This record gives sequence, structure tokens and C-alpha cells, in this order.
Amino acid sequence: MTSKIKAFICIIIPILLVFALNTKFGNIPPILKFLNPFTGFWQNAEHITVKKNNKIILKGTQQTVDIAFDDRMIPHIFAQNDHDVYFAQGYVTAMHRLLQMDFQTRFAAGRISEVVGEKALELDKYQRRMGMVYGAEQSLEGIMASPESKEMIMAYTAGVNAYINSLSAAKLPIEYKILDFKPEAWTPLKCALLLKQMSAVLAMGSDEFYMTNIKEKFGADVVKDLFPDYPFKEEPIIPVGTKWNFTPLPIPKTPASFDEAITSPIKTKQKEEGIGSNNWALSGSKTASGLPILANDPHLDLSLPSIWYQIQLHAPGLNTYGVSLPGAPGVVIGFNQDIAWGVTNVAADVLDFYQVKFKDNTHKNYWYNNQWKSTTTRLEKIVVRGRKNIIDTVIYTHHGPVVYLQQPKDFSKAKNIPVGNALRWIAHEKSNELKTFYILNRAKNYDEYRKALTFYTAPAQNFIFASAQNDIAITANGKYPLKWKDQGKFILDGSDPQNDWQGWIPASQNPTVKNPDRGFVSSANQSSTDPSYPYYINWEFSPYERGKRINDRLSVMKNATADSIINMQTDSYSIHAQNILPTILGMIDKSKLNATQKEALRSVTDWNKFYDAKSIAASVFDLWTKRLQFEIWDDEFTVPDIPMRYPSRDRTVQLILHEQNAKWIDNIHTPIKETLAELINQSFKFSCDSLEKKYGPIGKSWEWANVKHTQIQHLAKIPGFGSKVLLTGGGKMTINALNEGNGPSWRMVVELGKNPKGHGVFPGGQSGNPGSPFYDNMIDKWASGKLYDLFFMQSADDSSATIISKLKISKK
Amino acid sequence: MVFIVIIILSYLLQMVLPWWIVIIISFATCGLIGKTGKIALWSPFFAILLLWTGMALFKSLPNNNILAMRVAQMFGVQAWWLILALSALLGAFAAAVSGFCGYHFRKAVLVTKTKS
Repeated sequence: MTSKIKAFICIIIPILLVFALNTKFGNIPPILKFLNPFTGFWQNAEHITVKKNNKIILKGTQQTVDIAFDDRMIPHIFAQNDHDVYFAQGYVTAMHRLLQMDFQTRFAAGRISEVVGEKALELDKYQRRMGMVYGAEQSLEGIMASPESKEMIMAYTAGVNAYINSLSAAKLPIEYKILDFKPEAWTPLKCALLLKQMSAVLAMGSDEFYMTNIKEKFGADVVKDLFPDYPFKEEPIIPVGTKWNFTPLPIPKTPASFDEAITSPIKTKQKEEGIGSNNWALSGSKTASGLPILANDPHLDLSLPSIWYQIQLHAPGLNTYGVSLPGAPGVVIGFNQDIAWGVTNVAADVLDFYQVKFKDNTHKNYWYNNQWKSTTTRLEKIVVRGRKNIIDTVIYTHHGPVVYLQQPKDFSKAKNIPVGNALRWIAHEKSNELKTFYILNRAKNYDEYRKALTFYTAPAQNFIFASAQNDIAITANGKYPLKWKDQGKFILDGSDPQNDWQGWIPASQNPTVKNPDRGFVSSANQSSTDPSYPYYINWEFSPYERGKRINDRLSVMKNATADSIINMQTDSYSIHAQNILPTILGMIDKSKLNATQKEALRSVTDWNKFYDAKSIAASVFDLWTKRLQFEIWDDEFTVPDIPMRYPSRDRTVQLILHEQNAKWIDNIHTPIKETLAELINQSFKFSCDSLEKKYGPIGKSWEWANVKHTQIQHLAKIPGFGSKVLLTGGGKMTINALNEGNGPSWRMVVELGKNPKGHGVFPGGQSGNPGSPFYDNMIDKWASGKLYDLFFMQSADDSSATIISKLKISKK
Repeated sequence: MVFIVIIILSYLLQMVLPWWIVIIISFATCGLIGKTGKIALWSPFFAILLLWTGMALFKSLPNNNILAMRVAQMFGVQAWWLILALSALLGAFAAAVSGFCGYHFRKAVLVTKTKS
């Protein structure tokens, strides 16, 4: 008997061992599944040296494709037809970035819980309830309706799947091994989801909940005063005085106003700045070569693997180089033989909330146009790892999804979403952005650029353009709803048809300018136009400082070369400091400062107003002015249970310079009456004291790069997979808009000419594999503000490029 | 003998099967030809220690240990060879326990047979 038990124990112990060492517990990967050198992470360690010639057979291609990888591992694809070029793009992108593509589309679709379990449930619900999957489905319909974009997306999908099918357990990207899941087949819907996620990043901002609360609390006059429809200081993208040579459509009438108090217990948050971008183009009259130079640097939340993937696509009728989004075919920002183009975000008001009056708690009917209308429902099935699946029911009115019927707890993304409101959002429209890029990638001149833009819906972008025919242009482009002025500045009454979007601004009437007299075009997310533009796009855009600095520099520039433009991309001069520093420095009472504060004051007084890496003054100024803004507004605009926001930086500057006795200066929580000088002194001392507390005595550790602490994290925030701390200058409101975790995600400068010359760099590398030497090889160059010369190859054997590896894909 | 059989079988079978095949190999080999408990414990231990260290180095050295270094940071340690040691020792430990169990399984079964 005992020997039977012994035999049993001898069998059970090895089984338990296998189980314990092959299972994921919490955040710890399945330990030996991950660590064993035959299928675990060791297999992801790539050779430093690369194999020179590779051949594979893939049935999905129609003819032979040659791919040359240059010394930064950038693929140059030479195909003989459109299908093959996008098939190969899908294949090589998956080869380098599969995990990123998979993770981002799962994120967009609200499917992270499938991988990490319950902790992502609220996030998944949010993505679903905002209608991300609904929007992607609509978008896909638009893509499939056009034969060119359908071929693009189908071929790309087939290419991605050809790579996925070739993977063995050992070859899976390392993150799959850490998080213990497997890739699934790629689908066209995933491409659409990825494009929707761009809209979510760039066009999901909404202040109407805050603005409605502010109007409720302070009244319409205060809103008009503190939240004006046009800034105090501005340099619009379309230069003032540009003629609108079209007859506008009739503008819808503004209905009688609608007010209702909607409040919920959440805290005010200062508006975050940092996701924005710069682009500019100089006409030949201002360059040494006599032909245009174009520059672009889109700012996004930086991560590793890099947001962008560089690629050259060559096929009959097509030869383009630039950056693509891993997961979508084509080149998004780049150049070809004849033209170059780039984008920055337009802060268009394309997201509105409508208050819905339901008949009863079943939410089956809602009041609209004086009658009860039926809602529809969409069931969202959320798969949760280690738990039962969840079915989330989302109610839709004709506007769109009712995002929340009750506020989720402790979920920051939901903070600006009013409960019981339906969401009308441009990203829910049928659209086909791929077609825009299909045409742009092949465009030869201004007219084709304009034609490409008409197919574009969202997220709205300032498309900048330059051609070898010496044309430059910029268009604030997107599909804009036709609205009455300020429609959507506040929450709208969902029962009144006059509040619906009432058509669209014709694409041909979007703000645009070609070859302006000043010899350059530029944008930095500021107002698209001055108030003379007949349509309403939004009441507030990003602050104007970056745009102003760009224009200041370009207007005096002569005989520009690529080098002068590259240098300008890392310009960190602060227009904000130029505007307010003389005033606020003048109000400091030196006699009441301690030794550290005096030393800090000296450095700010002598400051050249550049956010240099080594500048101590930049650290002090940055903290000081942020605190000052807090001191002025926080007492009025942070009220328990009423989410509101502060007035803009522009409005704050106006107040500091010209309204020094405004009632907002006084802190309403104290019995005494504060003056502006008091707030300025207080906040100055506060900034010095907190720097001292955190970084010790004033000195090297106070330097801006150290305080800013720029670091690029891994996409899934895996420790050890991010970058080191980068000691760089720049700041949110300077051209080099580099911050703690966001900044220029791609810097590009293109010199147009008979043979265009491209320069570019992004923070990261081509490979998404942390075990590859090409994972982060471009970071140091990027941090130093230099750009690589890009190889724009004319054939697969073009000897002007440094090629380290070749891949031949053939049908058999 | 046990050592050689385990190292060869483990190398070949891990090319196509998951890592836990080494547990089965150790159990079976020691169960069939393991002469003493000591051999059944230490032979699989050193076989897997050697095999896994070798394979890990074969992949990691041409990589300049870039990835092993990142994984070390992920585990909160600062040296890549600590991850190598952890991998090889854990694998060796699992194989050793399993070999030992295999040997004693045979003993237990033989005792049962002789009794009946």
C-alpha cells in the first residue's frame, strides 16, 4: 500500500512542477516557458550581424519582390505591381512590429482584458462605449467601397498574415512570451481600428462638459470674457488677409440657448498640452537652391517600439519614402520624386455631447423633435482573461452612443464625459483616409495634392505641401460639420433638431493657402484662420507660441539650406517667456528672498529665454508660471463636485499684462485681498522651494534636462524595455516641443529638386524587438537634434544607398 | 550514461516540443536506467544545466547580451548572467527532481510487484 502511495507521489510531483513553471501568476510570466533557451526569450536575441541574402517563397505574391534593408534596417520595397508592394509592406512591418500592431489594435478595440485580465476592464468598456469598434466598422465600409484602397488593405492584410503563419513558438515576439498570449490572424478591420485610434489620440478632446459647468456657475458674460472665441495673441495658420475665393453655404441659425446643470463629483484638471506638431515649407525664393524645403515634426506620446515605421515603396507609378503607421498600408508623412507633404493636428470641434431625455429607465425611447424616438442597442462582448466574459450593452441614439449612464469610479479617461449624454463624433463617420495617402504617395503636383485631400475625414490635419515645381501650400483639412457659431462649445440639447450637425463644409472650402507673399507656410496647431473665415471650426486651438516663433524665424530667413531648417527644429526659445517675463520679474520684491531664491532670480534675470538642457532658469520659470496660473485660477475654478477647467494660457497672459486689478487675482478662500504682485512673489518662492526640496541646493541638479526627465517607455510599460533618461532641451511651448514623455515622434526635412533629398530621424529604431540592435539605435541621434540622410533609391541595386541585407520574395 | 541520454534526447526533442519535455525525459530515463538515487538526481541536473547554459549562450553571445540585459532589468537585477544562472538552475532543478521521482517510481513499482 505505501509503495502505491509512493509511486503516486513520484508521478504527481513532476506534474505539479510542470504546472507551476508553465503558468502565468499575476504579473510574473510563466517562468520556465519564458526562461528556457529553446522556445523562451533567449530565442529573441538577434545576431548583431545580419545575414546578407535571404529568399522566401510566399504564395500571396503575384510577381517577384525585392526588398533592400539599409544600414538602419529600413526596408526599400521594389515590387512590380500595387498588390505586391502592399503585400510586402504588410510582411516586413509584421516582421519588425507584430506585437505593436497587435497590441495597439487590441487597445483600440477594447480587448486588453483578454490579455491582462480584469484590471483593463474599465478601459475596454470605455473604448467600446466611445464607439471605437462601431467607428472602425463604418470606416471599413468606406475603405472597401473604393477599389484602390480595397486592394491596398487586402494585400497588406495578406502580407501580415503570411508572416504570422510563418511563426513558430520560439519566434514569437518576446512580449507574447511575457504576457503569455498568442497573435491572431490580422484582418482589414484591424487596419481601420488603428486609423480610428489616431482619431482617438488627436481628436477626442472635449471641454464642453467643463464649459457647461463654467457657464452654469459664472454666467455667459464670464465665459465670453475668460473663454473668448479668438485669442488675445494669435498668428493664424492661413495668414491674415488671405482672401476666401468661394461663396459659403448658408450658416445654420443659432437656436435659443439651452442650459441645464449637470454635475458630478470629479476634480478639475489643467488642460494638458504637448500633443501637437510643427510643419513649415519655404518657397524657392527663400532657399539657397531656389526650390522649396519642407519640414515636419509630429509630436505624440513617445514609446518604444517607435510610433512610426520608415519605408520606401516602389512599384510602377509609385516611388515614395516616409513613415507609415505599423498596421496601415501606405506612407503617411513623406515625399516622392515630385512632392513632399506633412501633417500637424487641427483642433477641430468634431466631437459633441447631446443631453438625452429618456422616457423611462429602460432607455428604450428618447425625446426628439417633439416625439418619442426609439434607441438602438449594441452588445459589446468583452473577453476577460481568468474570468467570465462580460456583455456590455450600449444604447445608441441617432447622434451616437450614450457613453455612460453612470460614472465609472476611479477612471480618469471618463472625467470629461457627461453622464446620460450621447456622443456625436467624426470618427463614427464612414470614411476612407487610405485613399488620401494612396493619391498623395503618387501625386506629382499641387492639383493632385488638393484632390487627395478631398477624400480625407479625420483626424483633421494641416496638410503641408511643397513641390519641385516651386509650389508651396497648406490646408487645414478634414471633414468639418456645418455648425452655427460655438455649436458644441457647451453640451447640446439632444431633443432639438437644430442642434444636430447640419451637413458639411465643402472640402474645397476648407481653409487653404497657396504660395503666399511671405514666401512660406507653417502650422503649429494654432487657430486655422482669423475670424474672417465664414465657418465655425472651433472656438479654441492650441496656444500660438510655437507658431509665432516659427514665423518669426522664417520671415527673416534667406538662402535657407537643409541645415538651417534642421537647426530650427530644435529651437527651444520661449515666446511665453518673452511675453511675460519683463512684467513678472519687475514685480519681484528682492528684499524678501532667501539666498537660494536670490540665486534663482539672478539666473532668470540673465536668462536668454531658451529651454536649453543645461538651463537652470528654464526650470525655475516653468514651475513659476505654472504655479502662478494655479494661484490665479484655482480658487475659482476648482470647486468640489463641479468639474471645470482653467482659462487658457493666452487669457492668463492677457490678464497679467493688461488686467492687473481683475477680480480673479484675489484668492477667495482668504479674508485678505491678494494683489497680482503677491501672487507672483508667492509662486516664485514656491517654485524655488519645491525645486530645492526635490533636487537639493541650487546647481547642476536644477538643470532643465534633469527636471524635465525625458524618458521613452515601452508600449506596455515593461521595465528595462524603455530608454535611458535623455538629457535634452526643449519644452512644451517651444518649437522643440519635447517633454517628459512626449515630443517629436518623427523629424523630417525634405529638399525638393530634380532629385529630392530627404533627412529624417525618429526616437527609436525600425525593429520592435528589444533584443535587436535596431530597437533603439536612432535615439541618440534624435536626442542630439541631428537627422540622417535618407536613401531615396531608384532601383533595388541603387549603389548610392548602404544596403546591409536583401530579401527576395517569390511565388515559387 | 543517463547524463548522455538525457542531454541528447533533450536537445533533439526541444527542437519541436515545449520545454517540459525535459521533465518527461528525465523521469523516463532515470526510471528505466537510473542505477542509484544519486545518479537519478545529479545526472539530469547537470545535463540540463549544461545544455541550457550552452544554448542560452549560443543565442545570447552573438547578441552582445543586449536582450539578456534588458530582461535582467525587467526582473530587477543588474547583470545579465544572473538571468542565465536563473534559467539554467531552474531547468536543472526541475529535471533533477523529476529524474529522482522517476527512479523512486520504479523502485516503488518493483516493490509492489515482488510483494504480489
